[in-house]
Amino acid sequence: MASVQTERTSTPRAGARQPAVSLVTERGKTVGTTAVENAIFKCQDVNVHYGDKHAIKDVTIEIARNQVLAMIGPSGCGKSTFLRCLNRMNDTIPTARVTGTITLDGQDIHDKRQDVVQLRARVGMVFQKPNPFPKSIYENVAYGPRIHGLAGDRVELDEIVHTSLQRAGLWDEVKDRLGQPGTSLSGGQQQRLCIARTIAVNPEVILMDEPCSALDPIATARIEDLMEELRQSYAICIVTHSMQQAARVSQRTAYFHLGDLIEVGETDRIFTNPRHKLTEDYITGRFG
Amino acid sequence: MAIVGLESKSAPQASLADSEAQGLPMLEGHTARAFDGDLSALHVHAVEMGGLVLDQVQLAVASYADWIRMQAQLVLDRERQIDAYDRAIEEESLQVIARRQPMASDLRAVFAIDKVVTQLERAGDEAKKLALVVLTDSETRGFKPGYAMARDARQLGRLVTQSLRAALDAFDRLDADAASLVLRQDQEIDGEYAATLRRIMTRALEDPRLIHGVIEAAFVMRSLERIGDHARNVARQVLFIVGH
Repeated sequence: MASVQTERTSTPRAGARQPAVSLVTERGKTVGTTAVENAIFKCQDVNVHYGDKHAIKDVTIEIARNQVLAMIGPSGCGKSTFLRCLNRMNDTIPTARVTGTITLDGQDIHDKRQDVVQLRARVGMVFQKPNPFPKSIYENVAYGPRIHGLAGDRVELDEIVHTSLQRAGLWDEVKDRLGQPGTSLSGGQQQRLCIARTIAVNPEVILMDEPCSALDPIATARIEDLMEELRQSYAICIVTHSMQQAARVSQRTAYFHLGDLIEVGETDRIFTNPRHKLTEDYITGRFG
Repeated sequence: MAIVGLESKSAPQASLADSEAQGLPMLEGHTARAFDGDLSALHVHAVEMGGLVLDQVQLAVASYADWIRMQAQLVLDRERQIDAYDRAIEEESLQVIARRQPMASDLRAVFAIDKVVTQLERAGDEAKKLALVVLTDSETRGFKPGYAMARDARQLGRLVTQSLRAALDAFDRLDADAASLVLRQDQEIDGEYAATLRRIMTRALEDPRLIHGVIEAAFVMRSLERIGDHARNVARQVLFIVGH
């Protein structure tokens, strides 16, 4: 499989594949069912270019409500890039060009009338490194609802902060020190604070980009437990390098390779009997 | 990868490298090479255990059909080696799961190897039962098979050992086609078992004095038929590993 490890990104697609890479299914042909019932996101033929680099190639997938979708794949496979398409975070990169259709609840997120700030409230994001604002714990959570005008008065705002921290499993640990800086918390607590901040604006989807890679196993377990609770109310997409984590937390798994969505399917099946050889090789640790 | 006791009788064994050339699934090729070693060792030890069990079955059939107490004693003595393999492979499986967290085909392989070992251990138990028939008999009980019953035991034993050898060969090479063939041939053993039972029962009806020997022979045939079942189950696990 050595040839798969080389030439990961920059070669033009046509005719430039290494023999082993020809195992990739025809362009845009993903193994598995990309459609789901109760879809909130529908992505059709999504392509992303960073300048000359073709980072995402004809990705078609739907994302269901009340489910965790795990996106896995080797570094540079495009999984984070794809995640960032879902709330138009790629807009912030000048060289990035996104084509294809992405609809959230039937609305095209690239529509000219789409307010990007509003979109990012509906599609929240949690990053690899906890990034609380340099403000108090209370203000970290209250900031979003305040700018989006979700609370009429202080009592309502208090209620949102309380509920969000509670749902993020952090309330009991911080209720007596809401005025302290968010940065004074431990790494795992900071990450849960970021999750509280995300859910405070009442999103429909939560995107998580390796949310546990900077956390210890206990903090990781708490976040994973939280994801299971949160999926009762939201759709969750998580990018993770830990296949064990993907297997633990998700109901569906998508495997990316060199910008292609190779395979998507029920997590139960992907980790016991994947259909595509590249998926098999990656999850069994044969490359990647 | 040769199976113990099979070198002269089985078809030439394909190495794991050959299996890759034939597009057969591999237990190797991991980025972490030590994982290759762990998984291959587990597989090799299960195949070795299979060789020992096959030898036990052949020896047990011969000890009964030819009524050789020394061979029966050898079967009984070697039973401990089978138990040792069973325990060692179980420990190795646990280590692989704990240290490597195998996924997909690797996970299926570890799981299936454990089941194969269980099947082999049970086949070994059946061989031991045959040996015990020979060892516990005395002149008065008349367990010793006559010419016709010995011939029946040899015939059924031959079919069963062929099936077990083929299943182990398929397991060694992780060869789905060979495993499917074992499953298809299982009916032949069942048919032969039924026919054999009818023949020996007829003998009991003809001469009621043979009743002790016939009952014991019926148990022997039943043991052989079960070994055939275990061979079939080994073949099924091969198909499970390769994902059929």
